[in-house]
Amino acid sequence: MKHVTINRSAPKRSVAPVFWLLFGAGGMLSALFGPALIILTGLMLPHGWGLPASFADFPHVLGFVRHPLGKLVVLAVIALFFWHGAERMFLTLKDMRAGPLPLLRLLTYGVAALLTLVTIALLLAIEF
Amino acid sequence: MSERRPFHRPQPRYWWAHKPYLAYTLRELTGVAVALYAAILLAGLVCLWRGPQAFDVYRKILASKGSLLVHLVLLAAVLWHVITWFQILPKTMPKLILGGRLVPPRSVTAIALVLAFFCSAGLLVVVIVIGALS
Repeated sequence: MKHVTINRSAPKRSVAPVFWLLFGAGGMLSALFGPALIILTGLMLPHGWGLPASFADFPHVLGFVRHPLGKLVVLAVIALFFWHGAERMFLTLKDMRAGPLPLLRLLTYGVAALLTLVTIALLLAIEF
Repeated sequence: MSERRPFHRPQPRYWWAHKPYLAYTLRELTGVAVALYAAILLAGLVCLWRGPQAFDVYRKILASKGSLLVHLVLLAAVLWHVITWFQILPKTMPKLILGGRLVPPRSVTAIALVLAFFCSAGLLVVVIVIGALS
């Protein structure tokens, strides 16, 4: 029997799993806590329903965002929600053949990456 | 004479707006709602950074009728995301076998939905209790 050695270089690694992980994390976070978050920040806090009116004022919210745990919560919610939306929009626009893939990547992953950096910068600028 | 000429089945341009693909399109649109909600929170963060006056403007906008309507629509979309997310879950996770028997996908979805309900309800109860005690 003749032995044939196949000289293959290692398969090229894809970055897709990274985006998939961020998509999954954002999807799970929004599925578990999304409804409560929207009810809290969109309905109860602005209208003072069921909560002290002072909870939505500047000092209280600033205090929350200045706490390290508060910063972590804000970053996780905003960044992961953006990455979740970006992955869904990218794959759907790709299926719709809405445009060239590099452009679609820029409009989805690119925007999510930029807004994540903006969120980090704001959280650092607000200080601890 | 071996040039490949594969057959491409013609597909209407707006296939995603018609059944059965419409369900898929609607599910994917919940991603837009999730991102939009993140954008509303980010706008709040920008106003918080700019100072008390900017934050009061943000609060006024959030207390408006339009904002209420937007958030109700977002809430409906995210609730649809919750349902579809856990419908997909049994397909994306490894098969769950307990005591030598396959746990049916429907049960996985049902258990996950109950868990999601307790997560959201739990968070609301904790915040309301903190509010009542403070």
